[in-house]
Amino acid sequence: MKRFTYSYRCIALLMGLAFLLFGWNNCLAQNERLVFTPHWIPQAQFAGYYVAQDQGFYQEEGLDVDIQHSTANIASLDLLKQGKADVVSTFMLDAIGQRASGVPLVNIGQLSQHSALLMVTKKKSGIDSPQKLHNKKLGIWSSGFEDVPLAFMQEHGIRMDLVRILQTVNLFLVDGVDALLVMYYNEYDQINNCGIDENELNTFFFSDYNLDIPEDGLYCLEDSLNSKGDAYAGFLKATLKGWEYANQHREYAIDLVIGEMNKAHLPNNRVHQRWMLEKVLEMMNPGEKKVKKGELLKTDFVRAMEVFEMAKGTQGHQTFEFEQFYKSPKGK
Amino acid sequence: MHGYIPLSYHIINMNRNRLSFKIIVRVLLFCFILGGSVFTIYYLFARETIERESRENAIHLAESAVYKIEEIISPAEMIPDNLAWIMETNALSQDSIYAFLEQLVRNNDAVFASAIAFEPHMFSKEQYAFAPYAYRSGEEIRSHDLWSPAYNYFIMDWYQIPALLKKPYWSEPYYDEGGGGVLMTTYSAPFYRNINNSRVLGGIITIDISLEFLTEIVNSVKIFDTGYAFLISGNGVYVTHPDASRIMNQTIFTYAKEIDEPRLREIGRDMISGKSKLSKVTLKELGDVWIYHTEIPSSKWSLGVVYPHREMYAGLRNLNIMIFLLSIVALTVLIIATVRIINKQIGPLTKFAHTARNIAGGNFDTELPAVGDNYEMMELHDSFRFMQEELSKYIADLKETTSAKEKIESELRIARGIQTDMIPHIFPPFPNLPEIGLYASLESAMEVGGDLYDFFPIGDDHLCFAIGDVSGKGVPASLFMAVTITLIRSMSEKNRSAAQIVQSVNKTLTINNESNMFVTLFVGILNLRTGELQYCNAGHNPPVWLNKDKEPQMFGNTKAIPVGIFEVFDYRDETVRLDPSDQIFLYTDGVTEAEDVNKNLFGEDALIHALAENREKSSKELTDRVKQSVKDFVNGHMQSDDITMMCITYWGENGNNEKK
Repeated sequence: MKRFTYSYRCIALLMGLAFLLFGWNNCLAQNERLVFTPHWIPQAQFAGYYVAQDQGFYQEEGLDVDIQHSTANIASLDLLKQGKADVVSTFMLDAIGQRASGVPLVNIGQLSQHSALLMVTKKKSGIDSPQKLHNKKLGIWSSGFEDVPLAFMQEHGIRMDLVRILQTVNLFLVDGVDALLVMYYNEYDQINNCGIDENELNTFFFSDYNLDIPEDGLYCLEDSLNSKGDAYAGFLKATLKGWEYANQHREYAIDLVIGEMNKAHLPNNRVHQRWMLEKVLEMMNPGEKKVKKGELLKTDFVRAMEVFEMAKGTQGHQTFEFEQFYKSPKGK
Repeated sequence: MHGYIPLSYHIINMNRNRLSFKIIVRVLLFCFILGGSVFTIYYLFARETIERESRENAIHLAESAVYKIEEIISPAEMIPDNLAWIMETNALSQDSIYAFLEQLVRNNDAVFASAIAFEPHMFSKEQYAFAPYAYRSGEEIRSHDLWSPAYNYFIMDWYQIPALLKKPYWSEPYYDEGGGGVLMTTYSAPFYRNINNSRVLGGIITIDISLEFLTEIVNSVKIFDTGYAFLISGNGVYVTHPDASRIMNQTIFTYAKEIDEPRLREIGRDMISGKSKLSKVTLKELGDVWIYHTEIPSSKWSLGVVYPHREMYAGLRNLNIMIFLLSIVALTVLIIATVRIINKQIGPLTKFAHTARNIAGGNFDTELPAVGDNYEMMELHDSFRFMQEELSKYIADLKETTSAKEKIESELRIARGIQTDMIPHIFPPFPNLPEIGLYASLESAMEVGGDLYDFFPIGDDHLCFAIGDVSGKGVPASLFMAVTITLIRSMSEKNRSAAQIVQSVNKTLTINNESNMFVTLFVGILNLRTGELQYCNAGHNPPVWLNKDKEPQMFGNTKAIPVGIFEVFDYRDETVRLDPSDQIFLYTDGVTEAEDVNKNLFGEDALIHALAENREKSSKELTDRVKQSVKDFVNGHMQSDDITMMCITYWGENGNNEKK
């Protein structure tokens, strides 16, 4: 009996020590809260974030991430500027525009390495070359994304009437415009899902016209990065892990996407979300580009600046260097 | 009385070769083929009819649903048209325009909301945008201006598309956020104004309609248990569908991809292009279905009705099962009935076969099987009866005849014995006469014959012998032979010459010869001392004279007629002298006219040849050899005439060395 009593005491002592070493430490380390705003409504374009959240990857990095979507009317960058979001995803050219106008944001991770932007025309219109696009109506979102097409027009010496649209492809379907700017992973498939066969469309992928500008990246304000470097590093790490997991478990990732869309009362279907996930994952793959996943290639930045300047001109804009724009967060 | 015999027993025990089995198998096979053909034709016809009726029904259902939908939707199209002329003037103030719109919504139950959205600065130069909007909020009608920087209606489909296309536009269905999440659609029509003598776009008038009524109409279309109607928008979006998860989420094209059914995509394309068509497709949840679709003319949406094959043909399938079961029952009944009928009808055949065997076994009184009223069986029965009677009669006659024949045969056997006893048949006949070697043989073709031979000594030194052949055969000939042989003996006692003997016999036979029978006769008297042979040949075959130093020689042909024909005939003696060891061979025409199977005659040449070969043999041996030659010649062919031979060897006065 004495022996046993001694053993119990030892265990109790060890447990007490363990609590002091780990439990106390955990109690002290409060999770860092981050509000992340993707630049569009819930869809498979953001599957990696949902997976990282659902799998607890952010938690593992000591983060308490709150994903708050933007809408067609409110851009994610506006929320960043207003301090309502700590980190946002957005189009690189839009971010460059903001930085050029003086917003002190920095790229902390480049997820998409390629351009998914293209213009489509109906084959029956006969528009099958950039020259034939001249003086035609191009449907383009009111929320931006015009830099690349504008650069394209300049490079090909054409002009097009830009017709601003909110978000649907209906105007194109009813022949209200001759061409439509679409994302390969989204609207292109939507058109297809409205009964237009792929072989009825002519496509103008900007990546085929030396305009393979990376798109979705993660941005935060420079001050925030300086103060919460660890948190951003953890966020990036967990996000990349989430995307990798989504790549390996696509149907699971789609389940999460559908769940998010249902929560937001958005129409959805797996067929389209599956397509989107597949294409977004393709965009994240560097391919021939000599860059790691999640990092920004300097030449891509340089080309993006060229495009930006081509589209906007330089008057009234601040100029900045790659190193100022891209700051990979440094964790401990 | 027969007990009940189960059908299975009949069938199992039915020999495959039995007539009944063959009839049953053929009848059933024919019934089966006939039934199968009728069923196939019926099935194809029924299927075709069901398909035609389903097609017609599908068209009817779709058209009537479309009509109901149009009834509600199309008046909505008229409101903006009527409003357009009011809006062409800038007559309404801001306040009155709200009141106007509120009144409009209030007065039209089908209208959920209505707006008049103006082009920039169109309502007033000061105001950039103005879009008065009246809508239902519970029981109330409320109104406000839609425009705000956050709600830039100029880039919204409901405004932008009709404005750009300059024609009315039915929006894709949407859930109205302000209207309690009700599924809505908006009809937008442009209106124009004349500014500086040019017609410019003034703005867009909209009518919002709840699609709840539409869901009700479409859902009320019932097709069997699982068939249904559905509605898709111009983009192929499911507006109504029994599977609520598809509404607004899926287009017919995403669903086609999901179930990997390219034909559904083609149907979708036909639907959004406004075609009315019946197509076949395979759906995951229903299997093969017919889809008939037709356009809703106003909104250019498309209504589809789904006819599941499974249910379309369910009635037919049930009917088929019923027919199949009935067929089995009918076939079973048919088999039982056929087996019974056939067995009853042709069953007597087997009994007749047994009866025939019984009759053949001699049992003529066997009772014939009972037959019903079957004509053929009655005929057979009568024939059997007739055969029985005839056979009985015939057998009775046969018995009688046989016994008579047996009696005659027995008598003939006795007669033969008597006849045999009449001719000498102990050889050597004269052991005390060393001068003579003699052997004779008579083989009758029938029980009794007409041939004869005889020999006897006359005194101490003469031997009388005779051979003859009575015309005809059988009993008459044998009686004539018996008379002849008796006469020869008796006449030889009184007469000393062969001719006299023949003459006497002739005379006696001719008298009272009513039957006109005659006999060829050769009579000889041999002087044992001198070897002188006196003979008389009355129409008989000439005997052969054998001398050891000469070729066998026939006696000359006689000119005398057989005895028994003419009473007065002068028979003459002839004389020859025999040397010691000379032989005389006498025979009847049974020898020379012995026939082989090909009707060839043995003939005189063969006889001479046989005799020449054996001339130094004893009388018996010579006779036996000739007999053997004849036997060899005929080779088993039936003997048609009596065969009689006699051989006399004259050894001379001093006797002989003949042992036998």
